[in-house]
Amino acid sequence: MAELTLDGVTKVFTEDDGNEIVAVDDVNIDIEDGEFLVLVGPSGCGKSTTLRMVAGLETVTTGEISLAGRRINDSPPAERDIAMVFQSYALYPHMTVAQNMSFGLEESTEMGDDEISELVADTAGMMGIEDLVDRKPADLSGGQQQRVALGRAIVRDPEAFLMDEPLSNLDAKLRATMRTELQRLQEELGVTTIYVTHDQTEAMTMGDRIAILNDGVLQQVGTPLECYHTPNNEFVAGFIGDPSMNFFEMDVDKDLLIGDRFEYPLTAAQTEAVGGAQTVTLGIRPEDIEIEADRSADSPHEFDVDVDVVEPRGDENTLHLTFDRGVDEPVTFTATVSGLRQLQAGDSVVATFPPEAIHLFDADTEAALHNRSLDVPEATEQIV
Amino acid sequence: MSHETATPDDTETRSLFGYPLSRVALYGVLGAMTAFYLIPIETGLMTGITSPETYTGTYPYLPPLEPLIPGTGEFSLGPWSTAFEGLRSGLVNSLILVVPATILSGLLGSMAAFGLTTISWRGQIGIYILFVAGIFIPYQAVLVPLTQFWYNVVPLRTAFEPLAFALPLLEPYHWKLVALIITHVAYGLPICTLLFRAHYKKLSDEMIEAARLDGASIYRIYRRIILPLSIPMFAVVFIYQFTQIWNDLLFALTIVQFGDAAVVTQELVGIGVSQSGTNFPLRMAAALLAALPTLLVYIVFGDKFAKGVAA
Repeated sequence: MAELTLDGVTKVFTEDDGNEIVAVDDVNIDIEDGEFLVLVGPSGCGKSTTLRMVAGLETVTTGEISLAGRRINDSPPAERDIAMVFQSYALYPHMTVAQNMSFGLEESTEMGDDEISELVADTAGMMGIEDLVDRKPADLSGGQQQRVALGRAIVRDPEAFLMDEPLSNLDAKLRATMRTELQRLQEELGVTTIYVTHDQTEAMTMGDRIAILNDGVLQQVGTPLECYHTPNNEFVAGFIGDPSMNFFEMDVDKDLLIGDRFEYPLTAAQTEAVGGAQTVTLGIRPEDIEIEADRSADSPHEFDVDVDVVEPRGDENTLHLTFDRGVDEPVTFTATVSGLRQLQAGDSVVATFPPEAIHLFDADTEAALHNRSLDVPEATEQIV
Repeated sequence: MSHETATPDDTETRSLFGYPLSRVALYGVLGAMTAFYLIPIETGLMTGITSPETYTGTYPYLPPLEPLIPGTGEFSLGPWSTAFEGLRSGLVNSLILVVPATILSGLLGSMAAFGLTTISWRGQIGIYILFVAGIFIPYQAVLVPLTQFWYNVVPLRTAFEPLAFALPLLEPYHWKLVALIITHVAYGLPICTLLFRAHYKKLSDEMIEAARLDGASIYRIYRRIILPLSIPMFAVVFIYQFTQIWNDLLFALTIVQFGDAAVVTQELVGIGVSQSGTNFPLRMAAALLAALPTLLVYIVFGDKFAKGVAA
């Protein structure tokens, strides 16, 4: 158990024709002892490459990776005392579950056979696979193989766990169960963990902190709620949260935003945050948009919109709304309302974009200029 | 759609003895092909158990049933015992040759494929191309260089002789078999490597990476992961190499040439041939005897072979 530090880590792949591709660009992350860090991003963003560099399966082009204060850039994987769980589980098909789990101990420690089999039995018990130890991987279900793969990592008692999309081959229900179980296990064992996923739900629910990567560049490192409520930029805002945040490109005219379809007045603080920017992107989360049947007063933050599509999810409905009345393929944005609200495609409603809930991003740099006010959730917290 | 279901009834009306015509044709062709393949073997077997004295003038494919049926020849196991006597030293030499040559070419091929496939290093494609090129070197092109190599370039004979005197069971002429073993291993290595490589390419990279993270060295990964997973492919390679080396005559003629080290294919050439005529029962018995080991190998490794081909 130890802290893991990535300092300016860069990976450049050189193709056969001499082309250089920067897969990971100057990534700095400090992972505390026992912390569960989720590395999240769309596919091809460099998150797996980052993990593989930590594991020692890829060389580091520049930068430094250290574990427990020890530089491990040039150590072979075997000497790093790191265990990894792969997406495909990567179990040894010719060995039984027990042999799969003892392999690492046999290869990397001086333990005797009795000690190893005792440890393996303990870990198998902890993972609830003690009945499977004599079976081969081919005779196990996906979920059982997943447990064996985890058990194989745990039994080695490493300094750090690396997990590369370990749940993505499971069906949705099992994935939800394993998500909780993994969190519980990690908390119990207290082993520093990097968990790679492309699934923002896993990132939000599992991580102590999440690190969002795009095109090899680290976008933000923070707790799930920090990333959700105060995103550094438009990418993070759009990536975290499901359904995604709505974005509208707006021109700035003093304290008024002018878009193709609507105008939005800013508060004094917001106007100040915008500064001299000519165009900004207005962002608002679907769950922050309020839907009413009629206009309450003559508020400038209310807009007449049509319901284009309703996606019922049971607990809530996702509405696809549009400003374009009577157009065949209209530009839509989404809002979520309670699942009990009876709304149908074609209904005309009033959408309110509350001023305290909007985000503003620079249209060129995509950097956040203003994030939503957090007064409201804090207030409710105090009440509870 | 209910109309379409009537069509099978139409075809069933075209039948023979209650079986559909297509089925009858299928089994007819299969039966004819079975007979076509088996008749030569059956003929050889029947000829081989006929007494040579009574053989002349019989139908070779009929069982020898004299005096029950006249004109079929007398039953005798004589040709088999004579053939065994005649081929004994050849069989022993062939066995000395084929077992190490087969195992070595399989093992080295598997190791080479592991090094060329599972581990990545600079220049491995160039080396691999050399291996592939080795498959296409024709036997005829290397015959003269091979003789020169083993008789004039490499002093294997002089190096081997003192060893042969010092160790029991070794004879001085065994040096020729050692030369033959090395030649066969070298010649079989490319195809063995190719077969193993195709197998190893399908193994999961993540599994090898997991083993590296588990602390296994390259040798340990080979020994504990790759080798056990190669068993079906070893069956394929062993059967293939065993048959190739056991049946080879060209290299044996080139390297052994003549003498005590002659292998079974060489002895088979001359057996049962004399100035007084050809002893067909003896030749047939000898041919079947010489083919027996390859047949046994197929039976022993057959199920694994099927797995390896399917893998």
